[in-house]
Amino acid sequence: MRVSCLQENLAKGLSIVGRAVSSRSTLPVLGNILIEAKNNQLRLAATNLEIAINCWIGAKVEEEGAITVPARLLGEFVNSLPPEPIDLELSVRTQTLNLHCARYTATMKGIDASEFPIIVTTGADNDEAPALEGTVMELNAAGLRNMIDQVAFAASTDESRPTLTGVEVSFKKDRLSMAATDGFRLSVRSTHLGESNGPGEDMTVIAPARSLGELARISADADDDRPVQVIITPTRNQILFQIWGKRDDGRGNFHSVELVSQLIDARFPDYNAIIPKNYNTRTVVDKAEFLKAVRVAYLFARDNNNIIRLSVTPGEGDGPGQLQLMATSAEMGDAVNIIDALVEGEGMEIAFNAKYLIDVLSQIDQTQVVLETTQGTRPGAIRPLGMGEDEFLHVIMPMQPPR
Amino acid sequence: MDNIRKIIHIDLDAFFCAVEELRDPSLRGKPFAVGGSPTGRGVVASCSYPARQFGVHSAMPMSQALRLCPQLIVVRSRHSDYSAVSRQVMARLRALTPLVEQLSIDEAFLDVTGLDRPATLLARELQQTIREELDLPCSLGVATNKLVAKIANNVGKAQAGGDGPPNAIQVVPPGQEAAFLAPLPCEELWGVGPKTAARLHELGMETIGDMARFPEAELERLFGKHGRDLARRAKGIDERPVTTHREAKSVSQETTFRRDVSDGAELRQALRRLSEGVARRLQRKRLAGSTVKLKLRWSDFTTPTRQTTLRQPTDDAGQIYTAVLKLFEPLWRPGQAVRLLGVGVTNLDERPYQPRLWDMETEAFRRAEAAYEKERRLRAVVEALEARYGEEVLRRGVEG
Repeated sequence: MRVSCLQENLAKGLSIVGRAVSSRSTLPVLGNILIEAKNNQLRLAATNLEIAINCWIGAKVEEEGAITVPARLLGEFVNSLPPEPIDLELSVRTQTLNLHCARYTATMKGIDASEFPIIVTTGADNDEAPALEGTVMELNAAGLRNMIDQVAFAASTDESRPTLTGVEVSFKKDRLSMAATDGFRLSVRSTHLGESNGPGEDMTVIAPARSLGELARISADADDDRPVQVIITPTRNQILFQIWGKRDDGRGNFHSVELVSQLIDARFPDYNAIIPKNYNTRTVVDKAEFLKAVRVAYLFARDNNNIIRLSVTPGEGDGPGQLQLMATSAEMGDAVNIIDALVEGEGMEIAFNAKYLIDVLSQIDQTQVVLETTQGTRPGAIRPLGMGEDEFLHVIMPMQPPR
Repeated sequence: MDNIRKIIHIDLDAFFCAVEELRDPSLRGKPFAVGGSPTGRGVVASCSYPARQFGVHSAMPMSQALRLCPQLIVVRSRHSDYSAVSRQVMARLRALTPLVEQLSIDEAFLDVTGLDRPATLLARELQQTIREELDLPCSLGVATNKLVAKIANNVGKAQAGGDGPPNAIQVVPPGQEAAFLAPLPCEELWGVGPKTAARLHELGMETIGDMARFPEAELERLFGKHGRDLARRAKGIDERPVTTHREAKSVSQETTFRRDVSDGAELRQALRRLSEGVARRLQRKRLAGSTVKLKLRWSDFTTPTRQTTLRQPTDDAGQIYTAVLKLFEPLWRPGQAVRLLGVGVTNLDERPYQPRLWDMETEAFRRAEAAYEKERRLRAVVEALEARYGEEVLRRGVEG
C-alpha cells in the first residue's frame, strides 16, 4: 500500500471513526483503526461490535492495500502534524506503516487487516464487503440531526436497563417519531416525512442513543442537500446510515460515512400513559431568560441533589405574572431568580432537577417556551412555543423536596 | 430579664414497672424486674424500687439480677402497653404547652416560659395530674435550660431515697445554675464519657465546679471544640431550644448474638448486614446522615461506642459499612469475644427525592402523593396564619 492524502482530511476521518474504537476489549485488533487504500480513496474503519463506522476520504492511491494500526497513537500523531500532505506506506513483510509528513516521519506496528471484523456496507463503494439488505429509506439530514438532538439526551446511560438507553424510532404513515426516556423525563419529537422517502410501511425500532448521537455529530459536517440513506434489516437487528460529505473541495472533508449499529431488541415502555393530558397552569417564558435563570440557580442546587423550586404567580390585572426559581445549598447559601411570565390558570409550586431543565432548554431553538403543570407531584410538560402541537414535547417528573 | 426561660424535665419513675403494677397490683412493694427471660440472655429493662435495694439495676443481665436477688419476680416486657400509656402521659404534657420535646418513651422537656404561673407550681400540678389521672409516679427538674433541668431531676431523684418511687421535684432558681452544678462529679455533665472523665481527673478536676474554674482557653486547647462546649456547660450555660419536631434523630440497628462471637469474618458479616439494614431504613425514610456509629458489647458487658463523621451525608450501605469497619478494626483484637454489635447513622437530613414517571401508576406513589398534598395544604394554611398574626401563632406538634 502506498497512498497520500491531506493531513486535515485524515485527521477529520480519524476523529469520526475514533468514536467507535473499543476502549476496553480483549481483542487487540478492536483497539486499532483499519486503513484501506482503494479506488483513489482511503477507507478508515473502527468498531466496538455494537457500532461500526466506515469513513471514506479523498486520497491519491499509488498502490492499493490495507493495514490496522493502534487508533490512539495514529489519531494523536496525525493531529500533531502540520496541514500538509501525508504519505503512508505499508511494509507488508513487517506489517508496519510508515508515515511521512513535512519533516515528521514515524513507523507504527500494525495488525494484519484480515484480522479486522468485516463491516457491512451499502455496497455503493465497496465491491468485496457484503451489502446490507433491508428496508431502504432516505431522510433529510438536517431534520434528522435536529430530531436526534432534541430526543437522545433524555435516554438513560444506565447499561443495566438497556431498553432505556435506546431511542424509539417509529415510522407511522407519513410521520417519523422519536422518543427517549430515562424514567425521570421523556422527550418526544415527531415530524412529517414530507419529501423524504419513508419505509412505505409502519415500523418501530429501538436504536442505541449513543449510535444516534454519533450520527448527529457526524452529520453536522454533512452535505445537507443530500439525504441520509437508512437501511434497516428485515430481522430488525441492525441499522445503517449513509451520510454524504460536503462536495466542495474544502479541507477537513470526508467523501462519505457509513454508520452501522445494532438495534435493541426490546419493548419500549408505553409513554403515552404518562404524558399529561391537561394542565391547571400554563406558563409562557422567554427561553433564553429561563435557561439563564436555571443555570444561575444550578450553581447553588448542584450541592443539593440539583433541586430547584419553581413558583408560578399569575399577574394581577393586566400585569405580567412571574416565575420564581429558588435553590438552596446548606453550606453555600441560596439564590432566588425571578423572570417575567405569561401565566394562565392558578399559581403553583413545583421542584425540578435543574440539570433536566438545562438539558431540554439547551435543545430548543424557539425564543419562547411553555411550561404546563397540574400539581407539584405530577409531571410538568415543556414545549417550544410556535412548534406544532405534537411536534415536540418534553415531560419531566418533579422532585419532592424535603418538608 | 425577659429572656430567662422556664424549662421542665420530666421522667416517669420506673415506668415499665409502674405500668406492670397497674395491671397487677399484687406486684406493689415487691422486688420485680421487667425484661427478657432469665434463662436466655435477656437483660433488665426496668426494675422496681424494692429490687433496687438488692443492687439490681437496668441493663444488667437477668441471670445476674437473680443471683443478687433470688426472690426477684421476672415480668416479660409488654412494649405496646408501655407505648400506649406513654402516649397518655405525653398528651397530658401537651395539654399544658405545645412546646414538648419527647426524649424517649418516659422522658420529656417542656418549655413553659410563655405561661404566667411559676414553673415550680406547674411542675407540682403536672406531677399531681399524672398521679391522679394515670396513677403513675414521676419526677421533675426545673431550671432555666435543658441541661440543668435534667441534671436537677437526676439529683432530686437520688436524694429522695427510700424504697418507693422518688416522686421528686428539684428546682434550680435562675442565676443558681453554676452553684448548683459545682459540687457534682464531672461525670454528671452531658458530654463527659469515661474517656473525657479520666482525662479531667488526670488534670485534677473531680467536680463540675473544678471544670468551671479551669481556664476555658486551656480546656479548649486540651479538648478542642468539645472543650469549649464543656466549659460552657460546666458553668450551667445551655442555649439549646426545646424542639418539638420529632425528627428521627438517628437510624440504627443492633444484634445480640445467641452466643458470643470471636470470629472476625462472622463479625464483619454481621456489620455488613447491619449496615445494609440501616441503609434500607434511611432510604425508606428518604434520609441521609453524616455520622456513622459503631456500638460493641464485650462479654463482660462493657459497651464501647465509636463514631466518625463523613464528608457527605450518606444512605449507602457500602459507605456505611466501610466507615463502620474503620471504627471496628482498631477496637477489636482477633479472638476477642463480642456479645452485641450495633450500627447507627445520625446527623440526619431529609433528602430531596426524585420519583420516576412510571411511579405514578403505583399505589405507593399515590399514598405518598396524598401525604405530600396534605402537608402542602397545611403549610399554606400555616403561612397564611403567620402572615396575618405573626410567626409565633402556631407551632408544630408531633407528627402522626
